[in-house]
Amino acid sequence: MANTISIILLILLGLSLVYVLVRTLKGNPIGRRIVFLYVAIAAAIPLFMDLEVPLPITTDVRNLYDALEKLPDGSKVMAAFDYDPPSAPELQPMAVAFMKYAFKRDFKIIIMGLWPQGPIQANMAIDEAMQDPEIAAKNLQYGVDYVNLGFQSGNEFVIQSMGTAFKTMFPKDYRTTPYDSIPLMRNIVNFSNIDFVMNFSSGEPGTIQWVQIAVDRFGSVLGAGNTAVQAPQVYPYLRAGQMVGLLGGMSGAAEFEKITAEKGKASTFILSQMIAHAIVIILILIGNVAYFSEKRKKK
Amino acid sequence: MKNSLADRSSGGIICAALITIFFFSGPLHSQEDLVSLSVKKIAPPSSLLATDHKYDNGNSISLSWVPSIDDALMNNPIVAYKLYRSSNDTEPNLIAELPPGSSYFLDNGVSTDNSYSYSVSASTNAYEVLSNRTESITPQSEWINYNKKYLFLMVMIISGAIMYFIVSAKRGKELFVRKIAGLEAIDEAVGRATEMGRPIMYIPGIQDMDDVQTIASLTILGRITRTIAEYDSKIFMPVARSLVMTAARETIKASYQAASRPDSYSDDMVNYITDEQFGYVAHVNGLMVREKPATVFLLGAFFAESLILAETGNSIGAIQIAGTARPAQLPFFIAACDFTLIGEELFAASAYLSGEPMQLGSLKGQDVGKAIAMFFVLLGVLAATVSAAWDIELFNNLLDNLNELFS
Amino acid sequence: MSLILARKEKRSSMDIGMFFAALLTLGIFSFLYKDNPVYKVCEAIFVGVSAGFWAITYFFDNIHKKFWLGVFPQEGDSPDYWLWGGAILGFLMLLRISNKIGWIARWPLSFIVGATAGLYMMLYFVSNALNQVADTMMPIVAYASDNSVLWLDTFGNFIVVLGVVTGLIYFFFSKEHKGLFGTGAQVGTWFLMITFGASFGYTVMSRMSLLIGRLDFLFGDWLGLF
Repeated sequence: MANTISIILLILLGLSLVYVLVRTLKGNPIGRRIVFLYVAIAAAIPLFMDLEVPLPITTDVRNLYDALEKLPDGSKVMAAFDYDPPSAPELQPMAVAFMKYAFKRDFKIIIMGLWPQGPIQANMAIDEAMQDPEIAAKNLQYGVDYVNLGFQSGNEFVIQSMGTAFKTMFPKDYRTTPYDSIPLMRNIVNFSNIDFVMNFSSGEPGTIQWVQIAVDRFGSVLGAGNTAVQAPQVYPYLRAGQMVGLLGGMSGAAEFEKITAEKGKASTFILSQMIAHAIVIILILIGNVAYFSEKRKKK
Repeated sequence: MKNSLADRSSGGIICAALITIFFFSGPLHSQEDLVSLSVKKIAPPSSLLATDHKYDNGNSISLSWVPSIDDALMNNPIVAYKLYRSSNDTEPNLIAELPPGSSYFLDNGVSTDNSYSYSVSASTNAYEVLSNRTESITPQSEWINYNKKYLFLMVMIISGAIMYFIVSAKRGKELFVRKIAGLEAIDEAVGRATEMGRPIMYIPGIQDMDDVQTIASLTILGRITRTIAEYDSKIFMPVARSLVMTAARETIKASYQAASRPDSYSDDMVNYITDEQFGYVAHVNGLMVREKPATVFLLGAFFAESLILAETGNSIGAIQIAGTARPAQLPFFIAACDFTLIGEELFAASAYLSGEPMQLGSLKGQDVGKAIAMFFVLLGVLAATVSAAWDIELFNNLLDNLNELFS
Repeated sequence: MSLILARKEKRSSMDIGMFFAALLTLGIFSFLYKDNPVYKVCEAIFVGVSAGFWAITYFFDNIHKKFWLGVFPQEGDSPDYWLWGGAILGFLMLLRISNKIGWIARWPLSFIVGATAGLYMMLYFVSNALNQVADTMMPIVAYASDNSVLWLDTFGNFIVVLGVVTGLIYFFFSKEHKGLFGTGAQVGTWFLMITFGASFGYTVMSRMSLLIGRLDFLFGDWLGLF
């Protein structure tokens, strides 16, 4: 029922754009507030729908997945959370899907953050992942199967120091347990004891610093989930093989959910994203048509 | 500083000693304890050597051994090699399990504070046989990583070029910097604000003083505020970092003094808002709409806020001059601002406007670096193309050497 | 079970914190119509709360956790005396409040700028210069294993090399953009503009995600409509 009503509303919204085109051609374009309203409606309606969106898996997401698949069960994986709530709509779904996948593979996860709110976001992702019955049945132990080392100030200098010993930067985890008392950290000195680093980043310090220091200086293997704004900046590193794969923005998150079969929020949001993008593209086209017809009239 | 040659020779002596010990003495561990008598005994791995890994900070030891003679490709009884490490002669701990056929391992879990000895076992599904235990070894840290000699050389060449140009500029040599579009617009924009009697807003990005873009921005601010002081216009500058606030106040104060208008300066020109990105944006947006500045400068390191700020500035009809070295944000500035300094042009503008020998020299020195990069890119592409098409040895060697140089 | 969950969700939608969060979201959204008193209130709350958050974070994470617990450790850990160096530099920063000796505050500032520049110099040189140059040294003509030419890859390689070289020409400041060099710079500008266009598209996607996240919060978490 909700699907039918939503589709009818979207069709009506689409038809109203014809009126906008005619109006614009007559030299009476719509104001910016109407544009805002169009985008808001286009983004909101699909949230009420329950439709499976056909989503091809891009190479960058597949490469990341393949690299994770190649890791033996029980590998030691560092998950660095370098973002805060404003970027959560894009990065949290990736983080949740990653945690679910990692826990199901029995990866030993070491969490840290160069942003104060990062480890908090990580805990939220863990809580959500733990609701999965398969993961809940594993009865995972904090300190043995995963650990949250917390936030450490100092930006990229933290990664640099971690190259020598994690303990220098994280003498205690976020629960104030001493490093040496955490069973998971017993045989981990620095990056050379970590099989994979996954970074969720929305800015700096973030993926670029992880590439420059953890990868290029200490030889770590890095995969990343980035906001769409940041993704184009890390493509050169991806091309040059300094990263194994990348989840870019909401579409990257939705693809990762699909490839790992961990359906989550991104799979729901992607429909909203697609419809909103379609509306934006149509409005851009209308704007251009109006611009060129105006130009012709002036001639 | 440690002598690496001495290290190498002492390493060799230790290796020789270990081999000698292996061949002329019995096993240090009792293998019989581990081997079930009911099954055929497999041979243990031999010649286990533990040596300090060179050119590191003392956190790794290289281990190599000869695999068990029973380690075969077909019907292999061996399922894994297990490595045991004893720290300061304490009980050995299992540190790694490696697949059959392995003969090397780099132990990265060590430190210079302890000494370590190792043994390796060949393990079947039923039992395992241990090799001899190595002598104790303490990893050493080295001051210089000779594997990075080419990197050092290249850094020296570029740094040398920068130093040369800085010294030349200091001696008064004229250094040519090409004209940068947008710079002439600065005076015009300040003049327009003065004519309209409206203030000028300056946003130096949201990064701290450790970001080179913020530093370049403040250099440009110095030049702009001098014009502002001369015209007696008004400037206000909301900032997202406390350090930037203090540095900006210093800069503006110095400009007003240089323009002989120290009394017109006020600390209120620069205000700290908040470190929180979107909190800052919310305030600056409100400020723009209320104060309606005639000119907005957006110069520095920007992130997601760039579009919101540039769009709001555009909506109030301000002349906007922007510049950032963050590629992701440039599109919005280009779309919503009147002039944009693209990428390194921000630093070039800073050097050009300040005329400081340090900045000009750096800019010229970096040009040398770019010329070198262009040369090697073209040479590498030529070598790779010829090598792929005709397999000529000269070009194959050239490509190999280039790869080694840049690896 | 689902009933309990539904009730739980209902309760959470009535949560006072969530109610305020929703009001603040709507308040900030109201700026899209025009600047208004509700937006001003929301803006002030945002600025105040975030400034407070950062002040507390900096205090507890740096001064308390890093410095205080470092030099006066608990449970018999050995103190880290190096931290006093940082503390002294930090104290020197505060001298800015003095008119007479305020200039001393430039020393720690110089330390920060210098140390960061030193670290960045090598990081950027290796990651952004050497590795990228090495990656660009590619054959223009790409061949398959049976020696046939891969035209699409060849085109891709050509574009990458052309883009890198002309981009470098554009950012070369020691020569006027005239003649062949000027043409190279012009081509470099096209590459930059195309890159910016692609980047713009990505950012629209990012902004849309943020909007969708807020709408999901308003309709789903707050109003419980789905």
